[in-house]
Amino acid sequence: MVALLVVTGLYLFHQFSVQLNDRSDKELLADEAQWIDYLETGVENGTTFILRTGELSIFPVNEPLNDYPKIEDVTGKNTKTNNSTTYRQLSQVVSIAGIPYQIIIKKSQEQKAALVSGFTRVMLFVFAGLFLVSLVFNWIISRRLWAPFRESLRKIRSAELQHMQAVRFDSTNTAEFNELNSSLNAMTNKIYSDYISMKEFTENAAHEMQTPIAVVQSKLELLLQDANLDDAQVQSVVQAAAALNRLGKLNQGLLLLAKIDNDQYQTKEVISLSDITKKYLHLFDALIKDKQLTVTTNFTADFRTALHPFLADSLISNLLGNAIKYNYPGGTVNIVTTRDAYQISNSSLLPAIPQDKLFKRFTGAADNPGASNGLGLAIVKKILDSNDLLVQYRMTSGLHEFIISKKNL
Amino acid sequence: MKILIIEDEQYLRESIQKYLEYQGYVCETAANFPAAKEKIDRYVYDCIVVDIGLPYGSGFDIVAALKNFGSAAGIIIISAKNTLDDKLKGLELGSDDYLVKPFHLSELNARINAILRRRKFEGSQWIQFNEIKLDPEGQRLTVNEKTVDLTEKEYQLLEYFIANKRRVLTKPAIAEHVWGDEYVQAGDYDFIYTHIKNLRKKLLDAGSGDYIKTVYGSGYRLTDN
Repeated sequence: MVALLVVTGLYLFHQFSVQLNDRSDKELLADEAQWIDYLETGVENGTTFILRTGELSIFPVNEPLNDYPKIEDVTGKNTKTNNSTTYRQLSQVVSIAGIPYQIIIKKSQEQKAALVSGFTRVMLFVFAGLFLVSLVFNWIISRRLWAPFRESLRKIRSAELQHMQAVRFDSTNTAEFNELNSSLNAMTNKIYSDYISMKEFTENAAHEMQTPIAVVQSKLELLLQDANLDDAQVQSVVQAAAALNRLGKLNQGLLLLAKIDNDQYQTKEVISLSDITKKYLHLFDALIKDKQLTVTTNFTADFRTALHPFLADSLISNLLGNAIKYNYPGGTVNIVTTRDAYQISNSSLLPAIPQDKLFKRFTGAADNPGASNGLGLAIVKKILDSNDLLVQYRMTSGLHEFIISKKNL
Repeated sequence: MKILIIEDEQYLRESIQKYLEYQGYVCETAANFPAAKEKIDRYVYDCIVVDIGLPYGSGFDIVAALKNFGSAAGIIIISAKNTLDDKLKGLELGSDDYLVKPFHLSELNARINAILRRRKFEGSQWIQFNEIKLDPEGQRLTVNEKTVDLTEKEYQLLEYFIANKRRVLTKPAIAEHVWGDEYVQAGDYDFIYTHIKNLRKKLLDAGSGDYIKTVYGSGYRLTDN
């Protein structure tokens, strides 16, 4: 484009300059003819003369005559401005009244210089204009042309696994995009159906496990009533029952996670976390006293949010339960609610939980597997995630702290 | 007292039957919907334990049928489904309680006890074990006709012990009954010991026999021999 413009500019300049030269040449020739006419009539025979002005010199020479005038470009000083400029110069030796005269006529080429700068200016202007226009057109065209693509991209970016069935890529006017979108549609359908069947499998598997667990638990309970068992046998039964109890809890935890995933706990009901905390503080009272924990609460402002009551219970019982369970005798639990945040912190001898493992399933306190099913914080996170709430964890001066806040929508 | 157990899982049905018979109930069983329907149509029961997921029908329909002909039987639904919807549906249809599997047999027994007491005597029947008498309405304890002050938890403990008298109660079963399912999230079962120790002391101080026995390694038992 630039090259094309330059070539066009040069070509136009060349054409104009040829024409200009042509014209000034004609003028030079006409001037010469006039001068010769004038001199031949006005000068008497036998007298010689010399004419020298800035642009015209006529003087006798002792040289052979030229048949044709010589026209060329020369550089010289402008007498007025003292700048060096180019001149178109005609020189010829002619015979005037029998005497050979050298005629030199110059024509300033300043006009041509002006022409060059004019051309450059116009060309630059045209170039800049074209450039701008092409940019604007490019922008408009790409916007229009790529609009369906961008729309698809936006949908992909905002797609969530839970709501994958709602993601539809519409047909467009472009065959390639249609191809892309139909592939994307097929892909999202596949992802969604896989996701659904996986979710259903999780829920069904957890659900179906409840009955066999119930059978085993009842059998162990009956076995324990047998007076003929010796101590070692009783120990075995109790240990089996304890392990089974854990399995049952684990299963219930997984079932709960699956149900939250399946959106079975959607609600518009607004609950108060302070009220639920009070309920659980009352419920866990025996344990708190048993461990001689100091509980400080500050419920001056209530943290209210839309949350299914069952999930709210589960959330608080998990957080408060952890704060008690992982505490040391004589330790502290602090709960502060404000309008925008729910804060719970507790003293503990355990080191800070690594952030990358914090809310993962089955990564809980490994040295004390009996006390934890490894799902508590995963459930907390899932409940908060599915209800537009955020959770932060930090450990400062021996206190493990969880802060729940509302997501800015 | 006659109880009908409607449960398709054979071994669970047998366990329930055995435990309830230990406690002095007369039990009949049904393994599927038609069998259960036939039994409730023909016989009168004091209490019916019914599973929701049955072959050839739903436990909900059994509950509905019982209510339909004005049965006075107490109804406990036992189900693997722990959803609020199912619980509400069961209660709306007229069941008295809803127990989620897996459950402790001692828990089922305690709940049957409570329902039968409410049904038969409008809740005014005393619960008695030798010289120990509990008044469920006022949640009061008397030993040899003398009132003994108990905390709410101690009362619930004693009531649970008497309902499952002579049976070994494990710590998880006791904790879940008295303090609820979620208690386990906050700690182990060691705190139960303190409460049982206090209850035992109060009973002994009031002149009752030493009935609450520690069963080595497994739990506790209320027994008079």
